[in-house]
Amino acid sequence: MSDMTANDKTIMARIEPYISIIGPMVMILAILLFMGVTEPTRYFRTSNLTLILLDAALYMPMAMAMTFVITQRGIDLSIGSIAALSGILMAFLIKQYDFPAWIAVPIAITLGALMGLINGLVITRLKVPDLIGTLAMDLVYRGLALVIAKGLVLARFPDLVTDIGRGTIPGFIPIPVVIGLFTMGLGYWALTQTHFGRYTISIGSSPEASEMTGVAVDRHKIYAYVLMGACAALAGVMLTGKLNAIQATSAPYFNLHVIAAVVVGGTSLFGGRASIVGSLSGVLLLSMMINALVTLRIEFFWQSVASGVVIVSSVALYAWMQRKDRDGTQGLMVKLRSKEAQKLIRLSAFIIGALILLLVLGAGLATEAA
Amino acid sequence: MTDQPLVQMRGIVKKFGGVTALGGVDLTAYAGEVLAIVGDNGAGKSTLIKVLTGVYQSTEGEILLNGARLEMGSHSDAIAEGIDAVYQTLALADHLTPAANMFLGSELTRNMLGIRVLDNKLMKSEATRVLDERLGVRLRSMDVPTDSLSGGQRQAIAIARAVYHADLRVLVMDEPTAALGPQETARTLKLIKTLRTQGLAVILISHSLDDVFEVADRVHVQRRGRGVGVVKTAESSVQEVLGMIVGAQDAAA
Repeated sequence: MSDMTANDKTIMARIEPYISIIGPMVMILAILLFMGVTEPTRYFRTSNLTLILLDAALYMPMAMAMTFVITQRGIDLSIGSIAALSGILMAFLIKQYDFPAWIAVPIAITLGALMGLINGLVITRLKVPDLIGTLAMDLVYRGLALVIAKGLVLARFPDLVTDIGRGTIPGFIPIPVVIGLFTMGLGYWALTQTHFGRYTISIGSSPEASEMTGVAVDRHKIYAYVLMGACAALAGVMLTGKLNAIQATSAPYFNLHVIAAVVVGGTSLFGGRASIVGSLSGVLLLSMMINALVTLRIEFFWQSVASGVVIVSSVALYAWMQRKDRDGTQGLMVKLRSKEAQKLIRLSAFIIGALILLLVLGAGLATEAA
Repeated sequence: MTDQPLVQMRGIVKKFGGVTALGGVDLTAYAGEVLAIVGDNGAGKSTLIKVLTGVYQSTEGEILLNGARLEMGSHSDAIAEGIDAVYQTLALADHLTPAANMFLGSELTRNMLGIRVLDNKLMKSEATRVLDERLGVRLRSMDVPTDSLSGGQRQAIAIARAVYHADLRVLVMDEPTAALGPQETARTLKLIKTLRTQGLAVILISHSLDDVFEVADRVHVQRRGRGVGVVKTAESSVQEVLGMIVGAQDAAA
């Protein structure tokens, strides 16, 4: 018995490094296959593939940074607002105060780093849990962006900004894709080769062990949030350049989209397991999926449904794989017959039954009134 | 075993507010011996070793290493003097490789374009070497996460961390076998014997008198914050030590 589990574990250990990309790769293949059958000409056009890459590029820096934050068992919900606020401040510096673009862009990214620093201090020094802390700071940053920009749409920026957002190196790939892939590469290097990367994993794996071995846990958490803030601001600059416009309400769903990409890519929400390559494939998967929905002319609002389903199914898949190597599989029927399952089945039946009853009652009353 | 004690704790008193956890304890450990500390819960075993490893500062009393008085304000001071501890939790990050865990908090680095980066290759080879040479442990793979290893192997990594980093002279092990099965316990006890032959003083805290009588040379018995006696395992028995722990040796005699 103990031999069996030891064997299982080595098999799991052997495929462990690849698990993170198996999930998104399978889903990417599924999308490619499906679109290849239904809409091959429109989906695989070069212009459409460029569109997918451009969309993905915007999320790459943030997904890289979020990989570090989540691996440390953290979360950052404020990135959309950081992107909007940094973009707005950059726009004001350029349009109102005539700052040259080459200085306004680094200022925006530094401001993002500062906002990340504030997030980090709120979480580590004021001891506000990251979920609530960054949710509240999201309100603060979004509010400040609204205070500064009111309802204004700031548009028309110097070439440097639009190049960052949608320029192309002639005969090569778009500049934002270069930026996105570069930040991903930097993230991979940082994760595997630096103290910051090593401690990110150890903090997520065991904060107590990290503390006991002398790792500065709080400082490295702050580093992750600073990186996150800077990358969110970079995305804000890229978004401003891509649209050649920015307003206070821009980038509303950055946080959930980026968290989804990272989690789909196999980085564990429970900490300690990081995959930059997984995050990159997660970003690509989401962009391909959203583009596929557009290509199929499915109503925009279904995107939200599809994203949610992808997140739940991939997290459930990882949780299932984790369980399987811990205490073996158990037949589904055995589980269904347990007392707990019976109680849950009764609860579900009750809720569905009540719903049906109310619907029937409502329909009856409606026909009566008519 | 030489005649000069490696470590001497003299008249250690530790008070937490009005509570006296240690009421004047003496403890002596020699190089190349395993000294077990036994006692009931609340007897002051943990407090005693926390004073020895610099985690707590004693209210009264002194600690001598090779006859020289130590001033330790923190655990890192103790490590610098060659006194380290392996805790029951082992302080391992399960997702990291054995080598990464062994060097956690004090990674080996190399220079890359003026930046200090991790030298993963060197850490791996050093970890492999220390595990093999000092502890006689060979892992099937050094690239797996630590949580895929057995309890005894995990113990070995935690010990290897202590053995590598300090010019280690005293190793305190807090309940190393408490969470292990019989086979893993046997392996861990073997590791302790290996360390003894390398001239370390191993101080072992354990509830299992069987383990204590298997590896320890001497047993220091704590009761209610005081050392109530030291016996040689060769000249004593489980019954006698048990009697000392519960304070019944007079009645028994």
